[in-house]
Amino acid sequence: MIYGDKNTAVIVQGATGKQGSFHIRLMNEYAREVGGKGVVAGVTPGKGGQEVCGVPVYNTVKEALAEHDATASVLFVPARAAGDSIMEAAHAGLDLVIAITEHIPVHDAMKAVAYAGLSGCKVIGPNCPGLLSPGELKLGIMPSHLYTRGHVGVISRSGTLTYEVVDELTKAGIGQSTVVGIGGDPVIGQTFADVLARFEEDPQTKAVVLIGEVGGNLEEEGVRSTDLPIVSYIAGVTAPPNKRMGHAGAIIEGGEGDARSKIKRLKKMDVAVASRPSEIPGMIRGLL
Amino acid sequence: MKLLEFEAKELFREEGIRVPKGLLVSEHEEILLHMDELGDKVVVKAQVDVGGRGKAGGVLMADAGNVVETARHLFHTPIKGVPVARVLIEERLAIEHEYYVSIAIDRSSKQPVILFADAGGVEIEQTAKENPDAIRKVTFSPLLSDVPDFLLRELTGDAPKGVRETINRLYHVFCKKDALLAEINPLVTTPQGVYAADAKLIIDDNALVRQGIAVNRDLTEREKEAEKHGFSYVELDGAIGVIGNGAGLTMSTLDLIEHFGGKAANFLDVGGGADQERVKYAVRLVAGMPAVKVIIVNLLGGITRCDEVARGIIEAGVEQEVIVRLAGTNEAEGRKLLAEKGYRMLGSMDEAVRAAVEVTA
Repeated sequence: MIYGDKNTAVIVQGATGKQGSFHIRLMNEYAREVGGKGVVAGVTPGKGGQEVCGVPVYNTVKEALAEHDATASVLFVPARAAGDSIMEAAHAGLDLVIAITEHIPVHDAMKAVAYAGLSGCKVIGPNCPGLLSPGELKLGIMPSHLYTRGHVGVISRSGTLTYEVVDELTKAGIGQSTVVGIGGDPVIGQTFADVLARFEEDPQTKAVVLIGEVGGNLEEEGVRSTDLPIVSYIAGVTAPPNKRMGHAGAIIEGGEGDARSKIKRLKKMDVAVASRPSEIPGMIRGLL
Repeated sequence: MKLLEFEAKELFREEGIRVPKGLLVSEHEEILLHMDELGDKVVVKAQVDVGGRGKAGGVLMADAGNVVETARHLFHTPIKGVPVARVLIEERLAIEHEYYVSIAIDRSSKQPVILFADAGGVEIEQTAKENPDAIRKVTFSPLLSDVPDFLLRELTGDAPKGVRETINRLYHVFCKKDALLAEINPLVTTPQGVYAADAKLIIDDNALVRQGIAVNRDLTEREKEAEKHGFSYVELDGAIGVIGNGAGLTMSTLDLIEHFGGKAANFLDVGGGADQERVKYAVRLVAGMPAVKVIIVNLLGGITRCDEVARGIIEAGVEQEVIVRLAGTNEAEGRKLLAEKGYRMLGSMDEAVRAAVEVTA
């Protein structure tokens, strides 16, 4: 396990919205299934005193933490207030914030991640599906029925593409240790390098699937930082330059961050690169 | 969204950055009445979003005698195919030295990064390739409201103090306007002080609302239409229409099409909650492109309801064949509905993409 286990107690910020309440239910169903603590409190300013799926709601993170011993937050707060909510979580002393919210202005994300860092609070995301350690912990919105416990770590900038790869792995009989969606925005908290460092310390993880896409060079930076066996896949080989491919971070700018040169650099570092998702299980089996 | 030079200069001016005196005109507007304010020698600049505008003939020197003709010439000469609707006529500065400065966001350090070069005016990408040491670079905490002066001194070396002040003001613009890029190229020194001779500003699309910008001009009509429905949409030039959920999965579908020898017509990410209405609309939008011969719908998700998606596809009732790859809840019902109407629903991404490529082969 990395980032948490069965004993991780969770709060949800943005608890009373459609997304928040829906996923509190799913996260707690999963927690019951695996015998975990799950979501113990929700936070929505002005909605303190209510209940969502049997979970008490508070006005602030501080008030929630006065009643509950949580260490992590999963955040569904609307984009315009999400940066502020990340800072609130860090200020109240949480160790980990999973920011699911999409479309957060990048200046807000940059400030919030920096502010959280001052108190040692790690941010995963924004614009991410969260993480799932099969049999232990689900923080976020990943569809748990596709997952099975095992020894392969998965790190990805994407959501559904991650589910696609996890599905392929599970069908091939290859289980996962922890699957982390680090988010599709230009500025994200935990990067490939950060998650890989955790996997290195994790005895359960024997090999890693790294799913990247066009834009930036965090994939190369991550691979350079670790000795773990890796199979990589990079989406966006056919992406045209200067066009945002859905994710705010998926853009080839100033001739940089295109998939082909990324793949070339990864191969130079002796990383196996799959040319399509369905090749990944076969390649990772070779490394186990 | 990219701002045009005159828009960026207006925002620079508000923050105390000196810009040349200028006059913005559309065609048939009176120019000569205002020439007194600008002096005899002027620069006439097409206001178009085109890289390498100067080299492409979009920036011309003129004087009071031929300024009207020069402006008229620009109105009738598209720059790299982009028609010129507005022209900025500016006083010509007595330039002593040109610098390059830009502020952007560094993904690696998650901080603002300032690039500075002693030689401005040329394309920075070229300098970066040919003489990378000529570009200096600093990053600093985004929690600071000013660029620390020691960093500015490190960055600008012997440049006059006014250059440092201007860069700090540019950082204020960068923050206040939610910029992804704020660039002055060239930043010039003159006997009258330091000026931003050119200006470039790209605003974060996720901050357009709070910046009071209602319409993203960088999008095509179809892209705007798609955005209204919450889709991410990019037009390409192949014959296979693509609809997916999630940016990564949709990009991957495009790549797979190429892998099997086909060419995608578009990228369309329907986003979360692919329900009947949204799917119907997405299918119709993609089918509306004349080049599209076949459409592949690739949706995967824990909470996507396959029966709803199937109804959306059927209701769209487009002429082209729609090949479906669906995984989610109520999968069996979705499959049954689609089969009844003669749609092919395939089990894997590879199979579905192969089938679509075969249709166009």
